[in-house]
Amino acid sequence: MGKYPIAEDELMTPGHLACQGCGATQAMRYALKALGQKTIVVMPACCWSVIDGPFPHTSLKVPIFHTAFETAGSVASGVKAGLEMRGDSETTVLAWAGDGGTFDIGLQALSGAAERNEDIVYCCYDNEAYMNTGIQRSSATPPGAWTTTTPRGDRKRRPKKKIIEILAAHGIPYIATASVAYPNDLIAKFQKAKGIRGTKFIHVFAPCPTGWKSAPELTVKLARLAVESRLFPLLEVENGHYKLNKDIPQKPVREYLSLQGRFSDMTEEEIQRLERDIDEFWQSLLIKENSGGLLPGITS
Amino acid sequence: MSDQKKTFRDEKEMPLSAVSATDMRWNKTGSWRNVKPYYDPKTSPCIAGCPAGENIQGYIELAKGERYEEAVRLIWQNNPFPAVCGRVCYHPCMDNCMRKEFDGSVFIPAIERFLGDYAIEQKLKEELPKERFDDKIAIVGGGPAGLSCAYFLAKRGYPVTIFEAKGNLGGVLRYGIPEYRLPKDVLDAEIERIVDLGIDVKTNTFVGKDITMEDLAEYSAYFIGVGLQRSRRLGLENEEANGVMAGLEFLEAMNSGKPVEIGKRVVVVGGGNTAMDVARSALRMGAEVTVLYRRTRAEMPAIEDEVEEAIEEGVTIRFLATPVGIITSNGNLKEIKCQEMQLGEPDESGRRRPIPKEGAYFALKTDSLLVAAGEMPDAECFQSVVSLNYGLIVADEYGRTSHEKVFAGGDIVSGAATVVNAVARGRGAAELIATEIQGGIFNPKTEKKVVAIADVNTAYFLHKRRATMPRSEGTHGNNRFAEVNLGLTCEEVQEELKRCYSCGVCDGCDNCWVFCPDVAIQREEGVYTIDYDFCKGCLICVQECPRGCLSVESEGK
Repeated sequence: MGKYPIAEDELMTPGHLACQGCGATQAMRYALKALGQKTIVVMPACCWSVIDGPFPHTSLKVPIFHTAFETAGSVASGVKAGLEMRGDSETTVLAWAGDGGTFDIGLQALSGAAERNEDIVYCCYDNEAYMNTGIQRSSATPPGAWTTTTPRGDRKRRPKKKIIEILAAHGIPYIATASVAYPNDLIAKFQKAKGIRGTKFIHVFAPCPTGWKSAPELTVKLARLAVESRLFPLLEVENGHYKLNKDIPQKPVREYLSLQGRFSDMTEEEIQRLERDIDEFWQSLLIKENSGGLLPGITS
Repeated sequence: MSDQKKTFRDEKEMPLSAVSATDMRWNKTGSWRNVKPYYDPKTSPCIAGCPAGENIQGYIELAKGERYEEAVRLIWQNNPFPAVCGRVCYHPCMDNCMRKEFDGSVFIPAIERFLGDYAIEQKLKEELPKERFDDKIAIVGGGPAGLSCAYFLAKRGYPVTIFEAKGNLGGVLRYGIPEYRLPKDVLDAEIERIVDLGIDVKTNTFVGKDITMEDLAEYSAYFIGVGLQRSRRLGLENEEANGVMAGLEFLEAMNSGKPVEIGKRVVVVGGGNTAMDVARSALRMGAEVTVLYRRTRAEMPAIEDEVEEAIEEGVTIRFLATPVGIITSNGNLKEIKCQEMQLGEPDESGRRRPIPKEGAYFALKTDSLLVAAGEMPDAECFQSVVSLNYGLIVADEYGRTSHEKVFAGGDIVSGAATVVNAVARGRGAAELIATEIQGGIFNPKTEKKVVAIADVNTAYFLHKRRATMPRSEGTHGNNRFAEVNLGLTCEEVQEELKRCYSCGVCDGCDNCWVFCPDVAIQREEGVYTIDYDFCKGCLICVQECPRGCLSVESEGK
């Protein structure tokens, strides 16, 4: 294990309000290390609008535009347009939304921005529920999980929305998944996104000890296990071409589940169904990769 | 709150919307913490497992950077015999290696051997002591314990004389271990380096026969490391017959180049390293060799590798069998009557006791019977000076005996043990002797915090097979007495070095710095510090450290 090829500069400062072991905070730190000082963050309601700190304070050394829950895609488009009008084509506009603001509430604005192929990086840091409002289920919450709105006895049954497929259907130039357990990979993907014109969507898996009922020290381990178990495969979709990271040896999903209180009620039958779903999803990704891209891409 | 104030002279200077003015550093999130991580380097388990306490992790780290000379000098601080021990040690370091369950322990003895051989090839010399003392010390016995004690005393600047009963230094290393396991030129080179520190050597001087302890009155202290010189006898009738020989005697003759006649069929009795050495040497003389051992393979005291190699070479081992009668004709050995055994209840050593199987006997026709059923002390000549117990000298871990000026260590204290034990005891005694002479307080024990398996995070290590050491061909032909295990090349050693986790010792991998969600870890020139003003105590740094360099304590205790 060598040193990480990571920028020394910290664009996120300590003192922020994230819970102990917050994966979303790691994600922000790495993303800004990748994108650098010339970045504007557009942030709808999400954990991070709290983490950043109360006015007039901020934890980031780059500008943040706090905006309404459903508007990350549209405000980011507007900020980018404003910058271009002022002749600034250098600054990266980073829409930074949680799974609620992406999968549910902000999906329309995101879809609009992606359809127009706005030149923005849209990052969804996914902690699989509405965490800062009290752990309510979102369409990113996985089946079998406990949340305060899917309590014991009535846990979530519906599958997690396949957001990558939705974005792929827009034909945008770059889509990637990344995990806080693999900072080098995550940073490389943000840097790649920075160099592409058009809409870039990066889906970052960011464990939440508070909402997942897991020990804070396990954040990185859980993120790693999610990738290893193929629950959250690392992949890229470039101009419609799927590229799946197949270098990571597969591990059973059970250890991942067993380390989180939110899955403690899962039955053997549910676990086996989840294992089947994981395999089927993986197979479907392999087919897409081998077909050389089922969807028409946009070349910019 | 920050003291920064911003004053706007008119509306035009004000921003269009509310803009943050300061960062969040005023918010000392360290107060949220209920547990506290801290950097706490620990002892690697290999080091804890080495009787000599060699800094294995340390020399591996140096060797990774091709700093071989520094690496071997680091070994010498604990053991002057890396080329020897790299070949003959039973390597408890490997049993302790954290990689054992992952994909096999790091091949530590092969690395040690490489470094020992490097020192020999490069003709590296010891650094001579800066100080010199006048207090002369006598070392009785020039085996691994005596040589080790002499070495560490000479390095500290004491004038040392070794009294050796045989013609050459080395003891069991020279007269017990066969050439194919430990070539004499390797042994000679390491002994030469030690003696070159200015050690006075008196060979062919048997203390207790040629001279007495009283003749050595001029010395300030004495170290006795005479080992075990007598082979245990079977106690059978006709044990004096032609063809019956003690295993040690046979090995000594072989190792001194004296002619020995053993015939075509040879039976060896015993299950220790001596028995394996005897059997494999006899095999190389062209004999058909059967080893009789009264228990099973699991109870054999011999090093596992030696048993494996003996069997591979064609030695037959008959487990659960023991000789009960020697049949002769005209004073010559003809046949051995053997009793079949079975395992009963565990004895005081914890191994299951062999008990005879009633009425189950068999006979083996043989030309020679080589008895390697253990060695016994021969220390009666010291009983006027120090206390003995069952013939062994009574001494503590650091060699302190019943006599204030006499110290002892190695097999003559421990009973049949290992080379590395002898080296360790020799060094311990040297430390004690030097402290006593200086009138200081001897306080050698320091608590070691050893890395536990739970501290190691193997997610950061890739599976990589251990190197295999090439072996020479066959036990017949012209080179049949040549060394069996041929060592690793420099490139193979480099690959093997990469397998070391460096348990307990930070190698600057950056994991703690990278994964801290609170940016509370600072990195300066490879040294990490935790900013407790901001550390929230999530412990991700502790969890993700691959090598267990951090520990945790409760807050507010």
